Amino acid sequence: MAVNAIYFDGQTARDRTVSVQEDGVNITFSGDETPVMVWTISGLHAVDPPSPGQPYRLTHVDKPGARLIIRDESFISLLVARSSHLKGGYSKRDISHVFGWIIGGLAVVAALGYIAVALLPERVAQVMPESWRNRVGKQMEMSLVENARACHSPAGDAALGAMIGALAEGSPDLPPISVHVYDIPILNAFAVSGGNIILTRQLVETADAPDEVAGVLAHEIGHVFHRHPEAQLVRMKGVQILASVFTGSNGGDTLTSIASVAALLQYSRKAESEADAYARETLTKASIDPVGLKHFFEKIVKLEGESKKSSGTLTVLGNLFDTHPGTAERMKEIMPLPPGVMPQPSLTDEQWKALKSICG
Amino acid sequence: MSEISHPSSSETIRFEYVPRPGLFKLTAINLLLNIITLTIYRFWAKTNVRKHIWSCVHLNGEPLEYTGKGIELFKGALMVFGLFILPYVLLTQGLQFALGEGNAGVVGLQSLFAVLIYVLWGFAVYKARKYQLSRTLWRGIRGTLVGSAMTYSLTFFGSILAKGFSLGWATPVMNTVLQEQIIGDMRFGDAAFKFKGRAGPLYPTYALCWLLSVGVVIGGFVFFSVEIYNWFGPELTATLDRVFHVENQPPPTKADYWNVWSIVGVLVAALISFMLLIPMLWAIYTAKEMRTFANYTRFDGAQFKLNATTGGIIWLTLVNLLLLVFTLGIAWPFIVQRNIRFLIDRLSLEGAIDIDRIQQSMAALPTRGEGLADAFDIGGW
Repeated sequence: MAVNAIYFDGQTARDRTVSVQEDGVNITFSGDETPVMVWTISGLHAVDPPSPGQPYRLTHVDKPGARLIIRDESFISLLVARSSHLKGGYSKRDISHVFGWIIGGLAVVAALGYIAVALLPERVAQVMPESWRNRVGKQMEMSLVENARACHSPAGDAALGAMIGALAEGSPDLPPISVHVYDIPILNAFAVSGGNIILTRQLVETADAPDEVAGVLAHEIGHVFHRHPEAQLVRMKGVQILASVFTGSNGGDTLTSIASVAALLQYSRKAESEADAYARETLTKASIDPVGLKHFFEKIVKLEGESKKSSGTLTVLGNLFDTHPGTAERMKEIMPLPPGVMPQPSLTDEQWKALKSICG
Repeated sequence: MSEISHPSSSETIRFEYVPRPGLFKLTAINLLLNIITLTIYRFWAKTNVRKHIWSCVHLNGEPLEYTGKGIELFKGALMVFGLFILPYVLLTQGLQFALGEGNAGVVGLQSLFAVLIYVLWGFAVYKARKYQLSRTLWRGIRGTLVGSAMTYSLTFFGSILAKGFSLGWATPVMNTVLQEQIIGDMRFGDAAFKFKGRAGPLYPTYALCWLLSVGVVIGGFVFFSVEIYNWFGPELTATLDRVFHVENQPPPTKADYWNVWSIVGVLVAALISFMLLIPMLWAIYTAKEMRTFANYTRFDGAQFKLNATTGGIIWLTLVNLLLLVFTLGIAWPFIVQRNIRFLIDRLSLEGAIDIDRIQQSMAALPTRGEGLADAFDIGGW
């Protein structure tokens, strides 16, 4: 059967009337101004899916600009019956192409994410120059304590120094640290970049014995030793960069921020247990009773409800008392000193009093 | 050749928007796939929406066809992110880390980049337009831009500076120059668009909108200042002192807080109404500019007419805004449709055109599209 169609040859805008036939393999058409053209059915492509009452527009792989427009419904259904790809829309091959690219894109993002979250941060943290660590640390400390007062008294500062000295007993490789007590009404301790450790007034005042503070301090020194704050900082930056590049936005996306917080929290848990292990080891080497740290943990668990004031940014910065499950396990791992080892006091009574009253 | 024997037959062109069902389904599928693919699908989503909307635009009964592919947009975006955004972000973040925030070098680099964005903005606009034209087919013939994107970009940058330094008064001149450049570069096949006209006729309307805006801002400021003063009288400073705990002041009362919050509420309401009122005022100019620019544009001897009215533009923008806000942006395909339809419904071409004479464009097809425009989030379709 031969039907009339309109042909645009892709060279000029002129429309030509042609007469079209099909034989199951090819369609053949010609007209007054059109020489005989043969298009293979397998090479045909439907611009739009056929739809009743609408002209059906065909093109051919060898003539990408040419268009053949058929209006005869029975001819259209005949053609579509010949080959299912003439139903138009996406073919299976198109779909697998699109998703190949998309899955490839997601794989690249996942690989970059793995590098930014797992591979790079710890390495960058290890090679970061001292001056960077200190400067960034000062910034972090400032933003963390905001306008809180730094507590100082000559005797209190001396007591802190003595406590660090006691911890260094048996651990000559203790990293250089600088410890500050701030008048902050929350119960917490933080390690920030550059070996800066922040204790809160409430922490010092809640502790019943110097060994409890020494235990907390040993834990924070563990963060400093492993350079957790530096690594976490690099990790945060990496996730931010990736999120902004990926979504084409400035990273303010809820979806990406949820994903990044999840990734960061994962690592903060690992960091906590590394710091715990460091604390246990350092305390044992210094013959300071690790049970002090345990007692402090118990106190925290009791107070947990009230002390849960820390905000989102704080939770990723080497926060000591993350309220995630596992506090009980962390406590279980703390063993008393081996039998026969004489516990050494981390501070004298007098020093302890001075430290307790450092904030006045 | 058969072309010679063909009788020359000039036709007039009618534009018509013939909506087709399926945009809603497309929107739903796009949303779903965007979520599943963490937004990477957006390039294909954009392409499918264009295919749909282009095919609704009929010129003398023959629809436009969008032949672009999602992968072309995806590759364009990859190029820009890989060569432009990622190096910049790594460099500035690294420097910020090394030298500290607020370091003069870092701030300098960031400002340089901000300027670079403005310099490249016109480039992105031009390239995106060129890509879209090259992927738009009518009667088998595609469009293109034949000029230099860099030239346009420099004019564009110059126009930003000129508008800024002249407090806006250079706008009609600069917009005319820009329009002349881009329309003058525009081709359908081998047939050229031409743009010719002066900015002068735009100035009365521009002056009206400018003066009205300034008047509304100053008038509003005076009105609210007087109202606030009348409300409190000389008590104003004392109330503020109490509420903001200035030393040696008695503690604030409940009434003090209530009064201050009322002022804040009134000021916020005033700000929002200004933010709505001022763009509405400027719709007068936008409509005038659109009509004028259409009049200045010719294609193959025929002249365009665009019957854009102030009310029409306000209604279009307002409904678009509501659609955007209440669907959290999901309804963007309908906004694109509304924008295109607004133009097509009001556009006409006066004069006859010898369509059959138009030959295919010989310009090379760009292989990637709109990377920068996507990165800058340049609107349009």
